[in-house]
Amino acid sequence: MSKIEKALSKAREERRSLQVVSVPGAAEKAATGTALVTERAAHPETISRMAASELRLLGSDDLSARHIIHKNHVGDVAVQVFRELRTQIIQHSKGQNSVILVTGVSNGNGSSFVAQNLGAAFAFDAVRTALIIDCNLKNPSVHRLITKSPVRGLTDYLESPDTDVGEIIHPVGMARFRVIPAGGRADAQVEHFSSMRMRRLMDSVRRRYTERFIILDGPPMSEIADIRILSEFADYVLVVARYGRTTHSQIERCVSAIGNEKLLGIVFNDEPRIPWFR
Amino acid sequence: MYPTHLATTLINETFHSRRLFVALFVIVNAAMLTTGLLFPKGFSASTTILVDDRNIVQPLMQGAAVATEITDRGRNAREAIFGRKIMQSVLEHGGWLNDRPTDEEQERLIEGIKKRTTITNIGRNIIKIDYRDDDAERVFKTTQKLAELFIQASIAAKAAESSAAFEFIEKQTREYQEKLTRTEEQLRDLRSANLDARAGTEAEVTARMNALQVRLEQTSQELREAEIKGNALERQVSGEVEVTAAATRESQYRSRIAELQSRLDTLRLSYHDTHPDIVQLKHQIQDLLDGIVAERERREQMKRAGRSEPDQSAMNNPIYQQLRRELSQNQLNIEALKARIADSQQRLQQEMSRARLLHTGDARLAELTRDYQVNRDIYQDLLRRRENARVSMNLDSERQGLTLKVQEPAALPLYPSGLRFWHFVAGGILLGVLIPVGLLYARLQIDPRIRVGTAIALTHQVPVAANLPHLWSPRELKSLRWELILLTLAVVATIAASAALSVLRATRML
Repeated sequence: MSKIEKALSKAREERRSLQVVSVPGAAEKAATGTALVTERAAHPETISRMAASELRLLGSDDLSARHIIHKNHVGDVAVQVFRELRTQIIQHSKGQNSVILVTGVSNGNGSSFVAQNLGAAFAFDAVRTALIIDCNLKNPSVHRLITKSPVRGLTDYLESPDTDVGEIIHPVGMARFRVIPAGGRADAQVEHFSSMRMRRLMDSVRRRYTERFIILDGPPMSEIADIRILSEFADYVLVVARYGRTTHSQIERCVSAIGNEKLLGIVFNDEPRIPWFR
Repeated sequence: MYPTHLATTLINETFHSRRLFVALFVIVNAAMLTTGLLFPKGFSASTTILVDDRNIVQPLMQGAAVATEITDRGRNAREAIFGRKIMQSVLEHGGWLNDRPTDEEQERLIEGIKKRTTITNIGRNIIKIDYRDDDAERVFKTTQKLAELFIQASIAAKAAESSAAFEFIEKQTREYQEKLTRTEEQLRDLRSANLDARAGTEAEVTARMNALQVRLEQTSQELREAEIKGNALERQVSGEVEVTAAATRESQYRSRIAELQSRLDTLRLSYHDTHPDIVQLKHQIQDLLDGIVAERERREQMKRAGRSEPDQSAMNNPIYQQLRRELSQNQLNIEALKARIADSQQRLQQEMSRARLLHTGDARLAELTRDYQVNRDIYQDLLRRRENARVSMNLDSERQGLTLKVQEPAALPLYPSGLRFWHFVAGGILLGVLIPVGLLYARLQIDPRIRVGTAIALTHQVPVAANLPHLWSPRELKSLRWELILLTLAVVATIAASAALSVLRATRML
């Protein structure tokens, strides 16, 4: 494939994503009325930045290299599993957008991986978009998806009143997929998450697009204070347990800490299945 | 861990720890191959020896010959075979001494042979000797030699035992024979020294003594009677003399006195006492009385003097003569009786002293006789035993007592026995799989960390939203492919190396 052909393909992808962005606009009228439209109209630079970023859509190989699923990998079990997970969430939320907190039982269980791929799975759907907010301030990972650096992120927004939401939402080369990285400052997390600005941010991103599913890539369950605050913003909580790392007692602690109301389930991650045997 | 998930989990875990798995497989195989190569090629031969101590001779010789009782034949055989003598012969025979090993080396060689030799009891009467070594011919020869030497040693030991028993009994017999001879000599001496000292003599002596006693008493009685008779005769003889004397003189005086008295009495009727006749008469009477007294005195004097002067009148008295004759006869009789009593007493003394001698001799005789009898009994018993022992010894020397024969002779082993190289190869492959799987299984059992997603749902009643497999990037898949190829190659190479070594070993090139 020549460079020209690649450019043409990207342009096609871009057009399609622009269409996708425009489709939720119709749904918004039914859902939240004119307020959001007004808000979106008030930030024309966000749309333009999104449009600009869509020019650099990543190919399936690039995504695979970043351990992100791609809808072309139809036969991949992981893709199927994430699709099923997405469907479960949509069924639970009855078509409404929702905030999903993804946390690991302990550090290194792959909660960021699950969060990002869950976002990707949502973005497969042409009528839905996904926003990942990296709330794992101690061990952030979302920023790795963004090629340019440094980028402004969540902590920048929370600490600087002048920062606009649009400035911290970044495209990552996937259609209908945006991220808010952790940002450059990472002090006093609990205070950050419990701030009004955080609340406002959550309201803002939730209301802006009704088709947008917001995924909070949370810290592990060991940071229980952060988890408690973040779970207040979330509609559902997914706990990631990794194969051969998690014990029953850890699961027990997580379940009792989160409670059954919001706990959507446990994602058992990284089962070492032989890839060519289904 | 739920059993239904065990297989899946094991497969997953094997895949997860594939490098460790293959490494272990290779290491185990290498170890087994090395062991197999270093393991001495084992040829083994065995021979069985039938120990039959119940042959046809034994019932015939019941009670006469004693067969050696063997309780634990295997142990006895082991002690005999592993003895220095047999081991040394085996060393010589097996060619171990060709290189002139030092004593220490010989000791080590013997220890080696002992280790490679197994002696077991099969049933009660069969001993099995197994020997294994790396040289087939030497195995055959050594096994044969072991059996042969063991049989020889057993028979020799048994013969030596019965021969020793015979010699002991023989020695005892000789000792008792000497004792018996000695006792016999003593008895003979005693008998010749005391001729009377023979059985029954005591009773005779007693009878004789009794007879002598009776005779002595009778004779004494007779003597007493004769003496009494003599005394009586003496008295009669002297009384007769006195009577005769009195009758002659005193009676004459008394009749004269009586006559004179009657005259006096008559005269007194007419006259006074003063009458001369009367006075005369009185004087005459007095004279006569004096005469009587004088006569009596004379007789008393005569008696006192012991002199009897028989009167002619008495002598002439026939009764007196008769008495005198009887008296002298009685005197002779007394003398004879006295002589007989003395003789009897002397003989009685002799008999008594003989009886005393007899008692002393009897005690000695009894002692000697007792010794003799005891010795004779023991001697006879020993003679019988000696003959039994001789028969036993002959049984053993004729190899009829304890029969040891090779029931199944050793055969030249054509193929190696025991663990062979391919066992190690197969074991290596099997253990190469089983050990890692076992270790993984153990880890799954011990490790509390969750490896099955559904276990979470079952344990905590929480839905498992997704069971996510590892997401492989194309590069990872590529490297995984290469890795799997390499690992497979490693496994295949290991198996191929094992197979190649097996072939080389089978063709005796290695």
